[in-house]
Amino acid sequence: MTIPSHSPHRPVSGPAHAGRVMTTAEILGHLSRRAGFGARTEQLTAMAAAGYDTAVRDLVAGIGAPDPGADPVPVPELSAPPSAGGRLAMSVAARRSLDAQLREEFTALTAWWLGRMVATTNPLKEKLTLLLHGHFPTAVSKVRFPVYMYGQNQLFRTQGGGDFAVLTELVAQDPAMLIWLDANSNRASDPNENFARELMERFTMGIGTYTQADVRAASYCFTGWRVDPRTGGFDVDARLHSTAPQTFLGVSGVSSGQQVIDLVTQSQASSRYVPSRLWSFLAYPVGPDDPVVADLAPGYAADHNVANLLAAIFGHPQFTAPQSLQGLVKQPVEYVVGALRALGMTPADVSRTPAALLRVLAGLGQVPFDPPSVGGWPQNEYWLSASAALTRWQFAHALARRADISMVADASPNDRVDAAGALLGVFGWSAATAAALQRASADPPTLVTLALVSPEYVSN
Amino acid sequence: MSDPIGRRAFLGLAAGAGALGALGAVFGPHAWDALFGGAGPAAGAMGADDGARLVLVTLYGGNDGLNTVIPYEDPAYAAARGSLALDPSSVLPLADGFGLHPGMPGFQRLWEAKELAVVHGVGFADPNYSHFESMDIWQSGVPGTPVATGWLGRWLDGTRSSPLRAIALGPTVPTLLSGARVQGAAIPVGPLVLPGDGTEQALFGALARGEGTDPVWVARSASADRVLLELHERLGPVLERTGASDPLHLAGLGTAARQGASTSLAIANGGGGQAGADVLAVQLSVVANLILAGSGADVYSIELGGFDTHADQERVQSALLSQLDTAVTAFVDALSGTRRGSRTVVVVYTEFGRRLGANASGGTDHGWANVAFVAGPSVRGGFYGEPPSLTNLSEGNTVYTTDFRSLYASVLSQVLGTDPKPVLEGSFPQLTLV
Repeated sequence: MTIPSHSPHRPVSGPAHAGRVMTTAEILGHLSRRAGFGARTEQLTAMAAAGYDTAVRDLVAGIGAPDPGADPVPVPELSAPPSAGGRLAMSVAARRSLDAQLREEFTALTAWWLGRMVATTNPLKEKLTLLLHGHFPTAVSKVRFPVYMYGQNQLFRTQGGGDFAVLTELVAQDPAMLIWLDANSNRASDPNENFARELMERFTMGIGTYTQADVRAASYCFTGWRVDPRTGGFDVDARLHSTAPQTFLGVSGVSSGQQVIDLVTQSQASSRYVPSRLWSFLAYPVGPDDPVVADLAPGYAADHNVANLLAAIFGHPQFTAPQSLQGLVKQPVEYVVGALRALGMTPADVSRTPAALLRVLAGLGQVPFDPPSVGGWPQNEYWLSASAALTRWQFAHALARRADISMVADASPNDRVDAAGALLGVFGWSAATAAALQRASADPPTLVTLALVSPEYVSN
Repeated sequence: MSDPIGRRAFLGLAAGAGALGALGAVFGPHAWDALFGGAGPAAGAMGADDGARLVLVTLYGGNDGLNTVIPYEDPAYAAARGSLALDPSSVLPLADGFGLHPGMPGFQRLWEAKELAVVHGVGFADPNYSHFESMDIWQSGVPGTPVATGWLGRWLDGTRSSPLRAIALGPTVPTLLSGARVQGAAIPVGPLVLPGDGTEQALFGALARGEGTDPVWVARSASADRVLLELHERLGPVLERTGASDPLHLAGLGTAARQGASTSLAIANGGGGQAGADVLAVQLSVVANLILAGSGADVYSIELGGFDTHADQERVQSALLSQLDTAVTAFVDALSGTRRGSRTVVVVYTEFGRRLGANASGGTDHGWANVAFVAGPSVRGGFYGEPPSLTNLSEGNTVYTTDFRSLYASVLSQVLGTDPKPVLEGSFPQLTLV
């Protein structure tokens, strides 16, 4: 495969949208950004020999395989929640010290996950984990115990590629979600609708496909679902559970939460909603009625298998069409992880304290384990504010001065703009960007900083 | 969804009660006017120097209005709310059988000074309980079919001017400030200092120019970069002067607490669901700085999250309302009587009210109609709109009596001095709020 020439002295061949034919390596660049966290041009060129379909197969196979890159990243020690009685008996000082402890654990857990994403050799596995966190969002601010966030994160990682109905049930019965959507306090005497509503609206079916009566009926079926205070695991408290048969989505005699989850995940609406969500995360935002979703729905409805759905998405012709190539702005986590991977750095290389990276992510608007709401994070425009631009620039500036950028610095000044592109896997800067970067070519750290904040790199 | 107490304790991002005390000291009457009153407006002031300003406070999660402005003399209230009903003796009386949550003594004082308007029964037809759809409707100003622009974004489009006329605090710009052509600007909370030397900054500017042929997100990214440079040029000096050494005016607190407050704000502004410690007071202190320094925009958007109280409402809502009360009251006090700030109007709203009947989790589920607050030195205090009936319910919810666009029309006309009709695509009766 040849890498398109974009010498700074001539107008560059231009980005892909200009109607130019893309090389396989360039298309793999798109795949690697969406299915992972990007790659250097040299890696893409090496992958191109085997072709696009092989790359997709390898990525999808990586979901179910051990991850020799990420698995050695040590899991921090996370404390189990004290028993309810123990918590009541705690002194003020003991509570404060527990808070401080949990805070440290949260920071360490975030560093662990970022470390995994940076080190992974199975990028789609970690990417899917991130996307599922956005799809089933829960926040440590309410869940409180990082050990629960860890447990849920591992569910996404180990079960995410399998049957979506099974995953939904596991997530619904996992402590993080039970706490986050107040299932824990949902009783037959007067059910709480929070989980039932979000299950349908956000997780499985999409708004407009069920009624308020369905929400009410489902909320009865989930009464009694809770974290068992003795075991810390899932349990249905028979004293709090309503056994009254409900009519749900037109089906009568429904009384258990499992039945509700079966019905929502097998519904016609869900066969469009779930593919529309994954497509929106990986290609460009669509609703369940989009034609591309109609292409994906039958295959998904046949097995509800997420790995197969991902393969179908990456194999869809529209995935490599301009609308998709230009369809998503990098989420901050993708941006930060991608930049670290490109520069060959680990989170620990940025700062000795993991809190520093957390502050960067907060300034960019996305703290892992702490989404803003049950809707997860919005997309695209949401990430493009002046305030985030400042944080991004500060981060890039610091990074370029800590990283080994010899790949750029060792190139002759006339080749450095190309070298920066190759470092970040960017094929073809726009003419304006290339000209600005060329003016920084005498100073490699500034050149790399600017490449990292260039509109092309930020927006894709 | 989030629990502010948990977050505060948990993330350790609390500035604690001390921050409010310190803010109170800084916010003391006319303190900022004395500091900045003599200085001329910063270069490139955007609005008229003594013009009216709008500060929009979005409460995410659906604040329970029935336990905020409490119909404590209505027997249906106590009957439906059960143990969640506030004790009439603890309620801070306003008038007509309504009183404020006990955590809101500052609002009661504003009410007595006739600087607080309470709008009853605000909402829209066919509500559907969804946080997202409801907030979309509130922020777009269009019920029914979703539109991509926000009501103040369309106002911004109409002004044909800079994004800097509408400023959001934090890392992201809410939909309400997104127009078809212009999007409001987000500013960080704290000093706005660009990295790098003059060369790096100049080249950043060159990158930000973009090209006409850029794909949409490339173009939008470049445009955000340009807004950053413009913000730096226009507001940087003010933000630096007022805050470089103590950006959040938290002098007197320990370093840890200061860092905590700034981090919590950054996180809290991650998009709208979250609350941290005293985040509202910190945001309002930045807004007040900008207004009093004469370099402010016409519109500011700030937010507080955590109001989705399906469980444990009493504890969670008390903390949040207390935060709202302290911050807004201190803000109004600081601006009162100043040349530049006395026409500032604060509007507080949330996506929906909550069910009249409490649930068994010590909380309330999503409902319909709600109250909105309008506060400021120039506001005509009192009640507006009809209180919804507590007995004539629909699906257990109070039904709206005031179209939310009446509130918007009033603000557009009376605060921003613009014709509301094109912005709201229709005419709505105005409330004489100002």
